[in-house]
Amino acid sequence: MKVSFNELQGMARKAFVGIGFEEGDAIDAADMVAWLEVRGLFGMHALKKGLEFLLQENPRALPELIYEDADVSIFDAHGNSILGSASLALELGYARARARGLSVTKIRRCHNRVLVIGYLSRLARRGINVTAFWRNAHEPLIEQWVGFRARDPEPEVCLYSLPDSPEETEPNDGITLVMANHVDLLPGLRSDFSLNNLMRQTDQDLRRQREHALVEGMEVEDDLWRTLKNLADRLLVEATQDSRSGAGAGTTDND
Amino acid sequence: MTTATAESANWMRPADQVMRLPRLGSLHASRLSFSRSLVRQMAREDWVVSTVRFDLDDHGHGTVVYRLETPGSTYHGVVFSQALDPERRSDRVIAEAWDVTFALVEGEVEDTLLAQMAANVPLQEAGRQHPRLLVLSRANKSMRNFSQFVDALGAGQQPDPAWLTAVGYLYRTTAVYGNGKFGIADYARLQRNPDFSRPFSAQMFAVYLLRHFSIEQVNHLAKIQAPHTAVPLAPALQRYMGIGNSTGLGMAPFLINHPQLIQQWVYGRERALAHARLQSATDEGMARMTALLHRARTHFQQTVTEDEEQTARNRETVQSIAVIIDWLDRTSPAPDLWVELQAWAESHCSMEAQELINTLLIELYPELIDPVEDELGCEEILELQPEMKARELLQLIESRFSWALDYDPDDDAHNHWFWYRSAEKEEPRLGVRGQEIGVEKEMPLAIGPRIHEVHWRLKRFLDTAPNGLVVEFLLANPSQKECVRRIQTMGQTSYGEIQANLWHRDMKPMHLLRTKLSFFGASRFDPKSDRWVRVTLFQGAPLFSELFSHHGTDEKRLNQLDDWSFPVEPDQVEL
Repeated sequence: MKVSFNELQGMARKAFVGIGFEEGDAIDAADMVAWLEVRGLFGMHALKKGLEFLLQENPRALPELIYEDADVSIFDAHGNSILGSASLALELGYARARARGLSVTKIRRCHNRVLVIGYLSRLARRGINVTAFWRNAHEPLIEQWVGFRARDPEPEVCLYSLPDSPEETEPNDGITLVMANHVDLLPGLRSDFSLNNLMRQTDQDLRRQREHALVEGMEVEDDLWRTLKNLADRLLVEATQDSRSGAGAGTTDND
Repeated sequence: MTTATAESANWMRPADQVMRLPRLGSLHASRLSFSRSLVRQMAREDWVVSTVRFDLDDHGHGTVVYRLETPGSTYHGVVFSQALDPERRSDRVIAEAWDVTFALVEGEVEDTLLAQMAANVPLQEAGRQHPRLLVLSRANKSMRNFSQFVDALGAGQQPDPAWLTAVGYLYRTTAVYGNGKFGIADYARLQRNPDFSRPFSAQMFAVYLLRHFSIEQVNHLAKIQAPHTAVPLAPALQRYMGIGNSTGLGMAPFLINHPQLIQQWVYGRERALAHARLQSATDEGMARMTALLHRARTHFQQTVTEDEEQTARNRETVQSIAVIIDWLDRTSPAPDLWVELQAWAESHCSMEAQELINTLLIELYPELIDPVEDELGCEEILELQPEMKARELLQLIESRFSWALDYDPDDDAHNHWFWYRSAEKEEPRLGVRGQEIGVEKEMPLAIGPRIHEVHWRLKRFLDTAPNGLVVEFLLANPSQKECVRRIQTMGQTSYGEIQANLWHRDMKPMHLLRTKLSFFGASRFDPKSDRWVRVTLFQGAPLFSELFSHHGTDEKRLNQLDDWSFPVEPDQVEL
């Protein structure tokens, strides 16, 4: 079925509250999903992949701050989705960069990392340069870079697989974010490096995708939409005779 | 003459006067209301509406398609009229069928799109709507007016204008959806569209088009009923006919969930008022003000409602207007007369009458005021400032949100109501805390108590971290994130927050409804209980046929067309 941007955002927001997210986190999570989807970056697909885990997690569990100094913050999300209250980890990085010129934020052990892009857009709008980096899997090893220029809500996105996998000792389930006050951090690809399956989207590509989605609507899977609707319905209060009078009007208006 | 300057900003009323709920609940439609703005725009830009399909049967049921051409684009209005079992005729959002359903479409309506719409528009929320629809709506007949009008016109008589004074329409809408609801186009698509970029202008146009349909339909039925004797509805009555709207608590969440938009609307109105107050009153201005007051007095004398409280408010307004006219008669023009009038009214007139004066002051200076109508929209995003010191946030609350600190968590009266959505079509409802089910699912609409909680937690946080940042406060209190970013964002504005505890036993939801309806341009407030109301839109507005430029586009004519506030019953001579 086709849905509008506002409809998707609204349904996702209610579904996240239905799951148990705090109001602010539900708003942010819905914005992150809708932000990606309207730019053709498969936000609903990412949500679908993470939904099963989300339903088993404590939606209000904060990532644990395990190290911080004036420039660097390291969080452990304990395997939870980045959609939860990870936004506050990013906000700490933002505050640090504002004070120190540059900050590095690492969130270990989290999933749904691609969805973080929407929140980074929010930070960039406030005037910070942001780059995020993460690796998706071991075989083939996929790296993703996202870079926002300060004040520009549209990023550049690079996704590619490496021809050879270096020897890994750590699982690739973290995300690293660098924020800078005054310096562009857009991902510039090394011209002499051999990359496979390169996907690169510029800010213009993403703007075009968004315009297209706003005209044509966005296709979402019926099953996923039903699931979100069922979660959203958890917020609704069963109707009773008393509650009907709580809305005021009568039930027939033949005057 | 003063232009929009910083000087006028100094004359703006303080938020703790303007944003109190009883004051907002006393607002009237003004020349900045969305319906007024739309009609001005249609006249100025010479919008042309034509009928491209008129397939109504002898019962007035069928499909009608109108074409709208603006200077840059083409749209279509599609109306589906159907038979409705009286048992199913309900103005509540929980209704499932209506007398007419309609939509405004961007571009052409091809056969395939019309077929898709015919299958879905009549279902409203239960259908899946096409993304080229800008507005989706429905309306029910005023049964009494409808049959009386058809019978009178069929008999060759004009209907009694008093019928329209009692109920100012043939149809009343029960919801007018925009912004992506049920698959229709997102508002983001309209933001760069000069025809409908202003808030709710597409919805207002759809309602205006329904008014045109209602006139054509009633003429059609009278002719079918009595082909040899029927006469068309007289232009004066067509003008006096509006479109009703029946509104319940569904409007309340919008006002709370869009504080930046409310800021734009109220700021625009208050800035316009400040401009107007600064003008030096002249003989001509005083004469115009007196004429407007006379018309408004007749309008309120003629306004009918069964609601005792609103009846008393209307009566007080009428009495106040008489006193104001008398005051103006005894007063000479002076540079600060309008400031004096406003100050005098605050101690001598009812709140509705005070706001009426303000509305009429705005009316006097269109060349200063009208540019404000392009500033009533905004991009909405509540932004966190994580780097702010927590103690600054505390100071911000105490200086800008002191009204919220009046909340007393231990006082039952302060915690009386809760707001929730019913399983019946997600209809917003009010329940009494401790007596009705659903409190664990309440909607977080009461901003005052939430700010109070942030304040309470901040004080405790600062006890242990006096130099802490807001982000550190939030890492310790993550549930407060949404409220904190709202405080930080709205703390930079004057008028976004309605200064009321929406849980309080004495809170009147009707004030919330009237706030929004006044910005739409509604008149004839007719409360049916403490939480739903019927109003009329576009009563007195010029007709499509009067807007077309072959009547001339000089400024004088455009000003005459725009002069339709506080409409009064036409007399027999006009028929």
